[in-house]
Amino acid sequence: AALPGVSRASVATAVLLLSCCGAALAGGVQDQAEQFFRSGHTNNWAVLVCTSRFWFNYRHVANTLSVYRSVKRLGIPDSHIVLMLADDMACNPRNPKPATVFSHKNMELNVYGDDVEVDYRSYEVTVENFLRVLTGRIPPSTPRSKRLLSDDRSNILIYMTGHGGNGFLKFQDSEEITNVELADAFEQMWQKRRYNELLFIIDTCQGASMYERFYSPNIMALASSQVGEDSLSHQPDLGIGVHLMDRYTFYVLEFLEEIHPASQTNMNDLFQVCPKSLCVSTPGHRTDLFQRDPQNVLITDFFGSVRKVEITTETISLDRDLAAFESKFPEDELATEPLKYAEQLPVAQIIHQKPKQKDWHPPGGFILGLWALIIMVFFKTYGIKHMKHVF
Amino acid sequence: MAAPLVLVVLAAVTVRAALFRSSLAAFIAERVEVASPLNAWKRVVEGLALLDLGVSPYSGAVFHETPLIIYLFHFLIEYAELVFMITDVLTAVALYLAIQDFNKVVFKKQKLLIELDKYAPDVAELIQTPMEMHYIPLKVALFYLLNPYTVMSCVAKSTCAINNSVIAFFILATIKGSAFLSAVFLALATYQSLYPLTLFAPALLYLLQRQFIPIKLKSKSFWLYTMQYASLYLCSLVVIICLSFFLLNSWDFIPSVYGFILSVPDLTPNIGLFWYFFAEMFEHFSLFFVCVFQINVFFYTIPLAIKLKEHPVFFMFVQIAIISIFKSYPTVGDIALYMAFLPVWSHLYRFLRNIFILSCVLIFCSFLFPVLWHLWIYAGSANSNFYYAITLTFNIGQILLISDYFYAFLRREYYLTHGLHLTRQDGTEAMLVLK
Repeated sequence: AALPGVSRASVATAVLLLSCCGAALAGGVQDQAEQFFRSGHTNNWAVLVCTSRFWFNYRHVANTLSVYRSVKRLGIPDSHIVLMLADDMACNPRNPKPATVFSHKNMELNVYGDDVEVDYRSYEVTVENFLRVLTGRIPPSTPRSKRLLSDDRSNILIYMTGHGGNGFLKFQDSEEITNVELADAFEQMWQKRRYNELLFIIDTCQGASMYERFYSPNIMALASSQVGEDSLSHQPDLGIGVHLMDRYTFYVLEFLEEIHPASQTNMNDLFQVCPKSLCVSTPGHRTDLFQRDPQNVLITDFFGSVRKVEITTETISLDRDLAAFESKFPEDELATEPLKYAEQLPVAQIIHQKPKQKDWHPPGGFILGLWALIIMVFFKTYGIKHMKHVF
Repeated sequence: MAAPLVLVVLAAVTVRAALFRSSLAAFIAERVEVASPLNAWKRVVEGLALLDLGVSPYSGAVFHETPLIIYLFHFLIEYAELVFMITDVLTAVALYLAIQDFNKVVFKKQKLLIELDKYAPDVAELIQTPMEMHYIPLKVALFYLLNPYTVMSCVAKSTCAINNSVIAFFILATIKGSAFLSAVFLALATYQSLYPLTLFAPALLYLLQRQFIPIKLKSKSFWLYTMQYASLYLCSLVVIICLSFFLLNSWDFIPSVYGFILSVPDLTPNIGLFWYFFAEMFEHFSLFFVCVFQINVFFYTIPLAIKLKEHPVFFMFVQIAIISIFKSYPTVGDIALYMAFLPVWSHLYRFLRNIFILSCVLIFCSFLFPVLWHLWIYAGSANSNFYYAITLTFNIGQILLISDYFYAFLRREYYLTHGLHLTRQDGTEAMLVLK
């Protein structure tokens, strides 16, 4: 019997509404499921490079250490960070506050801390080492902490700071890396499938020139200034005596301090960091090589190591596989006895070897011919009459 | 004169033996100024070791000696030090005898020209007397044996000593007048290192002079004698090369020895002029410049033959000097040979203009060679330009020395025939210049 007071239409509307809600909910789950597969990476790496040495380039080390700190805070472990610092500011004899590197004036934020792991330090920061880290063409004796062991599902953040110019970045005041070399290194990485997506940030003068030449897919690049502009430093600290940070990285650091592992902030917000009014230079970015829309790229896709965790309610048995595994290797039929040491070296044969004789002797014909000539010359010079004295 | 010579020889042998026993021997043996890729002892040992292993010693660019040296050292390798000391002594004795004979020739010629009134009246002080010429052969032997360059070359066991002794025997044979022996030794010297080929001209001139054949291009006897001597020389050269073929049953030694000397592939620094140029030259120019540099050695023969046809022994001296300056791998042993001749021209001393500066340059540069080598190779604070600068200065010093002697010689000859006090047509004093 029909319910009193509820018309069919209202039931139909209610069912419709419910189905819509269900669809919406299902759409939400669908959305969430889609979000799960949004970025194709499974691990994160960071290569942070400071290329300047000398005390007055304190700010470059502070820049790199700030990014290092943020990246570590957001979850990338030291084993996945390659930190290259061209000079040691914390223990520099000119540092009035040893074992610290500050990024704000009035010493508000010490980015050095207790757990900084520098992988390439001082004179190890060279163009060659940097390119070897990127391309993976490293001598076998290199320790793991100095290697970029990324694969084709890695998202890599590459941050570089130092002194640069139009098309180059100066390393250690003695050599340069050009934008062409960098682009070729990234192409090598792409061809060897060493990254899934790459975020390249550079904070130098005329930084935009460094990403002009990239041609490999899935690279997004940011720079602190355009070609022809200088990137400026932020504030000097009168207690330490040098400029502590560069403007661009300072505002990026401020921006990153707001990020936590679950934030949904995307790249477009990063592009807005440090407008010309604050930075004096015009930051630039390049997204044409990147396949996803920057709107959909989370900051934590590059700066953090946010794990995707899937919860399943099924139980999976692992025993079955083990038995199959063991049967793969049958026992050897012949049981061989191991060789004893003394039997492997036939000592008696070695010590009784005779020394090698000199094998080569001049051929008899040669000796004969030579001496015949000599005797002929002798007798020609001194006359035949001596012959009878000889015989 | 035998006793002083024996004393000199003993002193020289003592010095060499002492150095062989000391630790300096190893140091000197590896100096690039003393051992070149052509005559280093290390390479001889390497070549003989290769031979013992059954491999041709000319495979790979290690060994550049001739097969006769292989034969010589195959039996004498344990007595190498003795061999080199004996070689030096033989060279000195050969030079001694040669210069003794040469002095007699010079004196005879001088006497003839005085009797023929060819000399001007006021040149009495320029005429050489037998008294002053008496000790010249001993001085020559002394200069050769006790020259630091020779001692170093001997201690380093560089086969340059053998080359020098062959050339010394050639000079002895030429001055004694035996065309056959002279041709044989010249062939041997050319066979050893290519450059004594240029000594053909002075030897020919000397022998023609000795046979009293005038050097006129139209004269039949001149061409006859030249042909005889040339055929003797070429035949002996061919015989020696063919004999060398039979040592190893291969012609490998020709590109390894002569090809190496001519094409200069090894650019190890030495005291010569080739290495720096070719180290920085582009590939496609190197053939042209190799030809230019090699022609430079042979080029001076004809002009010098025309100018010095009356004085073939001086010509020989200048030619040996030119060979040792411009050859592709010179060492100090080559320099020692022509420096041994300097006492023969000691009567030219009053006409030498730059002798003090040049001797200072040569001595200084000899000391600077190891210093700049150390700075370049070990300390790293100099570079090849520094070493090459010293090489250049040293060679310029040598060239100026030779040209000084050349000028002094020609000047003395001019004064002998025209008198010491030259006057111009109007009676004022004139000066002689070399144009």
